[in-house]
Amino acid sequence: MTTSPQRTATTTGAGAEGPPGTPQDGSDPSGRGLATGRRARLANRIRVLRASFRENWALFKRNRIGVVGLVVIAIFAIMALLHPILMDTVWDPERYHPVVGYSAQEVELTVVEEIENPGQEIDLQRAQLRHDPTIQVGDTVEDTIQPAPPSLDHPLGTDPLGRDVLSQLMLGAQTAFGMGAVAAMTTVIVATFIGSVAAYFRGWVDTVSMRSADFFLLLPPIPFLIFLSAIYDLNMVTLGLVFGLVSGAGSTAIVLKSQALTVAVKPFIDSARVAGASGMQVVLRHVIPNVLPLTFLYMMFTVSGAISAEAILSTFGLIDLPMSWGIMIQTANDAGYILRGVEYWWLLFPAGLAVTFLAFAFYLFGRGMDEVVNPRLRQR
Amino acid sequence: MTTTATTTTAQAGGQRSTPLLEVDGLTVRYETLRGDVRAIEDVSFAVGDGESLGLVGESGCGKSSVALSLLGLLPKNARVDAGEIRLQGQDLLRLPESQMRKHRWNDIAMVFQGAMNAWNPVYTIFTQIEEALTIHQRGSMTRSEARRRVGDLFELVGLDAQMMDRYPHELSGGMRQRAVIAMALSCDPKVIIADEPTTALDVIVQDRILRQLKRIQSELGMSIIYISHDIAVIAEVADRLAVMYAGGIAEIGASHTVFGHPRHPYSWSLLTSTPSIKGPLRTLSPLAGEPPDLHDPPAGCPFHPRCPMATDRCAAEKPPLELLSSAQASACWYADQVPDPREQEVLR
Amino acid sequence: MSPPLLKLYELQKHYPLDKGILRKPSRFVHAVDGIDLDIGRGESVGLVGESGCGKTTVGRMLTLLAEPTNGSVAIRSDQLPDHDLTDLDKQDVNRLRRDVQMIFQDPYESLNPRRTIIDAVTEPLRLQDLGSREEQQERGAEMLRLVGLAPPETFAYRFPHELSGGQRQRVAIARALVINPSFVVCDEPTSMLDVSIRISIMQLMRDLAERLGVSYLYITHDLGVARYMCDRIAVMYLGKVVEVARTEDLLANPRHPYTQALVSAVPVPDPTYERPVPDIKGGVSRPVNPAPTCRFIDRCPWADHTCESNDHPPLEQVTSDHRVACYHAR
Repeated sequence: MTTSPQRTATTTGAGAEGPPGTPQDGSDPSGRGLATGRRARLANRIRVLRASFRENWALFKRNRIGVVGLVVIAIFAIMALLHPILMDTVWDPERYHPVVGYSAQEVELTVVEEIENPGQEIDLQRAQLRHDPTIQVGDTVEDTIQPAPPSLDHPLGTDPLGRDVLSQLMLGAQTAFGMGAVAAMTTVIVATFIGSVAAYFRGWVDTVSMRSADFFLLLPPIPFLIFLSAIYDLNMVTLGLVFGLVSGAGSTAIVLKSQALTVAVKPFIDSARVAGASGMQVVLRHVIPNVLPLTFLYMMFTVSGAISAEAILSTFGLIDLPMSWGIMIQTANDAGYILRGVEYWWLLFPAGLAVTFLAFAFYLFGRGMDEVVNPRLRQR
Repeated sequence: MTTTATTTTAQAGGQRSTPLLEVDGLTVRYETLRGDVRAIEDVSFAVGDGESLGLVGESGCGKSSVALSLLGLLPKNARVDAGEIRLQGQDLLRLPESQMRKHRWNDIAMVFQGAMNAWNPVYTIFTQIEEALTIHQRGSMTRSEARRRVGDLFELVGLDAQMMDRYPHELSGGMRQRAVIAMALSCDPKVIIADEPTTALDVIVQDRILRQLKRIQSELGMSIIYISHDIAVIAEVADRLAVMYAGGIAEIGASHTVFGHPRHPYSWSLLTSTPSIKGPLRTLSPLAGEPPDLHDPPAGCPFHPRCPMATDRCAAEKPPLELLSSAQASACWYADQVPDPREQEVLR
Repeated sequence: MSPPLLKLYELQKHYPLDKGILRKPSRFVHAVDGIDLDIGRGESVGLVGESGCGKTTVGRMLTLLAEPTNGSVAIRSDQLPDHDLTDLDKQDVNRLRRDVQMIFQDPYESLNPRRTIIDAVTEPLRLQDLGSREEQQERGAEMLRLVGLAPPETFAYRFPHELSGGQRQRVAIARALVINPSFVVCDEPTSMLDVSIRISIMQLMRDLAERLGVSYLYITHDLGVARYMCDRIAVMYLGKVVEVARTEDLLANPRHPYTQALVSAVPVPDPTYERPVPDIKGGVSRPVNPAPTCRFIDRCPWADHTCESNDHPPLEQVTSDHRVACYHAR
């Protein structure tokens, strides 16, 4: 090290009066100081992480709605994780594959003029066509049906193509999480970077990024995504990227910039500059780590938005995905079951409620996190 | 009421007649996430008519909690475990909020820390004082009466009466703080609590405001409780002072007596760690350690872990606040052995 | 006397008030308006004044956090030949950073809450690329021990919020001194600490200055603290230095009417002492496009025709080591 010898003092302790505020006296037996090994550093990191986790968890737990959100998210996560296991073990891929499986249910149907109880009745015309032209109303026939209502084999019934709805729902959860994750990561990276750089450097960087944020903020996301899907084939990753980008460069960037502004005026930023940090070093090492907690909060809100957006787009069949909750609704709609009301409830409710619940759960979780990361709400 | 001849510790260095305000055995804790905090522990003091008492101590010593208790403005998580606060014999702690509100401002007013920044920027100073006046005086005042009253108050605190129609941002920090004092005086309180009234101000402005407060006090004959971390400010304005440490009173007595020869090592260390610009520069003696964590206060005397004079007895038994003379009481087993701050070595 | 370490010459900082994109600003706050000051090697100079007098801006210019509008700062540095701080390229700036460091006022805000203590202390070494990682850690531990945070292991991997205010300020001191600067700007480093903690930090700073031969520019509003910490004191009023003298001389015989008012306004911890009423009128204004006459003229008890018809008085020697900027200094 380039230190002039006469200025390198190596005595221990602070001076004659003795160092106040130290639990122990400077009696360091080795005299060499600090264990600089990787192990010691790692162990300390873990200790600190655990302590801060415990503290944050205590704060988070106080807020019931956050816990509710977390529980719902956990249920869906378990569903997503369980799907491949079930496919490997109890579920026969021929019958249970969410996309290419087929399972026709054999049931006894009563012939009627007009169907009132799907799964128990068949209309006269269809029965005469498929079985015996002499069949009369009131007779019973053996037939396969799809969509079939819930049964022991298919707890949530089958869809109009004879595929297991529960299996689809579970695979759809995978899609939702995957896309949410892509969107969230994109938002975090884009928004944190734009917000921090704009807040620290100010000037034209700030002006340009904030005007572009205004643009993305005003851009209606759904029509824009529909427009995009007309030009490109959107899949899970690209949809997540686009959604994350729009949110990250738009509203989230604005929120994070205002947070970064409060960080950028802190004395430790000046302190880093005096120590010799360049502008980019200050942003990366000092501004960003201090806005990250808030970023994670907004990440949750983005996930909510992304899940809803995906559902809307796939309902219109605009996305190239094997299976998703939106596609489940689309399938039901294409086969004409949506407008038939609650009779075919298992085609509509599982997917529709899953979208609503998971999007809402992420939102609630975000609100709970707010209590933890937002210094304004964090009362001690 | 007849007065007893003996002085209590609460009255050390003060008048012997029935005091205007008495705090008796006040004990307050805060319930927090990390457990209970013993904010105030068995605090007793009395303030006589026209007297000024200084509460001095470091952050977290409980001095501001005492002020909030006096006004009945303790936060929601505070629990008063014991004690009484008597204003002219009436216990304020047992009063319902509706009754307490009558006493606040009318009998006890407060000039709190940073109050000068608490003005609402969209109303003029007059509008805001008038509001306080009409709320607490039951709206029995006409506008012109209110203007005359505020004008008088402004004159009293050394502000031009025309300033009352200004907006807060048009006034300097010192002027805003004077206006706060005018507002505190608006309902003729018997006691004013001044919690760090000049902390954010420059010395010249501080000097003027402290002089003004002293003058007003002698003119109107009211009592003032000064709360400050700065022992030099307390030395200037208070007739008596109470030194607080870790939620309790370490020493209480007449200013001249305590500053002349403190009888508690904590008061001694406050005096020897405040560099004065007058007289010879003496060695400053820093205190070891940090103020105690009130979640888990030390056993025995709360000051013993930092005390240069501590013995085993201090770690085991908590010393009571005991009268040393009619003008001084100290909570230390070795009160008679506390050195004189003027014996510190002269540096320059 | 050896030549000064640092020489401020006519240093100025003006902030435009009406800044527009296409408009040329016409109103300026003269935050610092031409100050001359020498600081010797190992000397501690106090910069004292009320809020808004420009003392913090001076500190920011010396640490290159603000760019002077005019004037120069010459520093004798081990890293560079005699150099003017106001005229540096990027590389010089970085090398100079090794020589000029700063300790900030607020111990709660001047350390990044998300970095460990050892990280904060060794950051200057990393940024300046001094030594290997192991050497940096060693040096950091040594600094922690030096500022009284011993043994270093108990503090190194903690986060600032786990430390008390006094301990954090010790960390800030370790961080400022870790690259052996010759000059440290201290911006009210003890004003936010409790009385009982304050003294130990002040003693630590004095002790380290003596041991390491560091010069301090000690910015404070508290004359008592300045008396204890500084060899000389410079009093600032509205961007001007109005009086410079050795500490005891300045406090015992203030010559400038402003210094006199300031000295007599400081409370004394002795109830028997009757302080004189400070002889000063009005309050502080903001130095927006100030008139060329004496800055103190509106508040001065001595102001007369001479003051009105002349420019702001220059700092003139009254005795050796005592300079005053007043036409009537007695």
